[in-house]
Amino acid sequence: MEVKILGGGCSKCERLEAETRAAAEALGIKATFTKVKLISEIMAYDVMSTPALVVNEQVYCYGRIPNQEEIKVWLQDAIP
Amino acid sequence: MNITAFIVDILQSGFSGLGAYLAAHVLLCLLPAFFIAGALAALMPKEAITRFLGRDANKWVSYPASALGGFFLAVCSCTIMPLFASIYKKGAGLGPAITFLFVGPAVNILAISFTGVQIGLDIALARVILSMVFGVLIGLLMAWTFRKDDQDHAEKTANNQLFAAKAKVPTHVVVFFLLLLGILLAGTLQIGLFRNVFFEFSIKSDWAVELQGILTRLIPPDPGMGVESISVHGLVLIGFLILIALTAIKGFKDIFSGFNTWTYITLGLITLTLIIASLSVLVDMNGFVIGLNGRLVAEIVLISAIWWMSARFFSADERQEWLWETWRFVKQIFPLLLVGVFIASIARTLIPAVWIQTLAGQNTIWANMMAVVFGVFMYFPTLVEVPVAQTFLSLGMHRGPLLAYLLADPELSVQSILITNTVIGKKKTAVYVVLVAIFSTLAGLIFGWFIK
Repeated sequence: MEVKILGGGCSKCERLEAETRAAAEALGIKATFTKVKLISEIMAYDVMSTPALVVNEQVYCYGRIPNQEEIKVWLQDAIP
Repeated sequence: MNITAFIVDILQSGFSGLGAYLAAHVLLCLLPAFFIAGALAALMPKEAITRFLGRDANKWVSYPASALGGFFLAVCSCTIMPLFASIYKKGAGLGPAITFLFVGPAVNILAISFTGVQIGLDIALARVILSMVFGVLIGLLMAWTFRKDDQDHAEKTANNQLFAAKAKVPTHVVVFFLLLLGILLAGTLQIGLFRNVFFEFSIKSDWAVELQGILTRLIPPDPGMGVESISVHGLVLIGFLILIALTAIKGFKDIFSGFNTWTYITLGLITLTLIIASLSVLVDMNGFVIGLNGRLVAEIVLISAIWWMSARFFSADERQEWLWETWRFVKQIFPLLLVGVFIASIARTLIPAVWIQTLAGQNTIWANMMAVVFGVFMYFPTLVEVPVAQTFLSLGMHRGPLLAYLLADPELSVQSILITNTVIGKKKTAVYVVLVAIFSTLAGLIFGWFIK
């Protein structure tokens, strides 16, 4: 599974990444994490603000930090 | 002047600035402002404004909405660039995007309240009104200049659902913001209703008298240079601020695992500090003279209402998010600001007043242009432009060029120009920079005429 964290690298992005890693670990999902920091690359996705969570190239949320339960649902949803 | 006296002079100026800043200005102004900024970032649903910024939005709606968005949504740099890029590429287009980009850095709650308290309400209000009006004008001019590009753009990116989401700001959130704003106003407005003392009592205290003597000797006040000495009241408050900082590290760090004892201690200390700060405290020959005033009453009522509302109307998640955002702003902005205040206060003794008076003592086109150029090339961290401006003011800068500087500095820096460049390209960025420079100069000039 491929997880991307979109955002300039502020503390919000770090927290989103930490939350997502924890959720993936709790579910026993193996995922690669990539940080997308360049605004031109971020704009390739349909997001309006950062941080944003992209799993397997699909945007799940942006502009806020979701809680563990939400992330777990999304990660399970993203399993092919 | 020998070297020791020189160093003493510099340090006195630096610490006076820092002391006056912490004790007198920060508390009742910046402390609530940080909480408001945190609340805007955590509790304000972005869709309430972005729904007006979509591709098909009417001009009469999208431009004002962008200007307001600059105020309500752009508290954080994580929002400004991505939202600017989205409005430009997927939303209402170049004009409103530019309006948003222009208004954002100049009109956030922290900058405005800080400017109001440090420099004056006239400049703060001018900063708000002129940024919004000029933001819209610059946006319209940009859209007109590049009208052909924008047309192509619209055809390419039709059918986007990004701006379709709608949201309303819930009533309890609106009331909460108003209460927070009330705390800020009650703490900072210098009007009789808040200032007049209705009950006064004295406490005999020899140490207070002695301490005040020492403080006045260490940092003699110099009204001509804008140097304030530190009062015992101020010293106590600085002590409280340090305590708050220490407890906040423990209380706010793991805020997401819930409120712990330290969180409550920190919040309690903040409440107590705001209340003590709103008292009128003087030291005469015998000890303290403490006066109760309208400010005190207002602060107690409003802060109690905030406690009650956050317990009653907001979920644990929302409370944690609010405090986390607030703490994030404090960590990001405050340390740099302290260093900035210290250095700006030292600069006050180093820069000869004659220089500033010759360059920008009068409200001329040249003076305003100089101020803008200085603002573009000097990059100061968020909010540091305010103590810098205050230093210029005390050295004799005219308020017109001062406003021009305050508009240009957060707006244009080499760094922000480079990022804007990656989103809209060289040509548009160049036109934007020129327009901002012209409009900031004009803003200063016009404001300067009205002042004198």
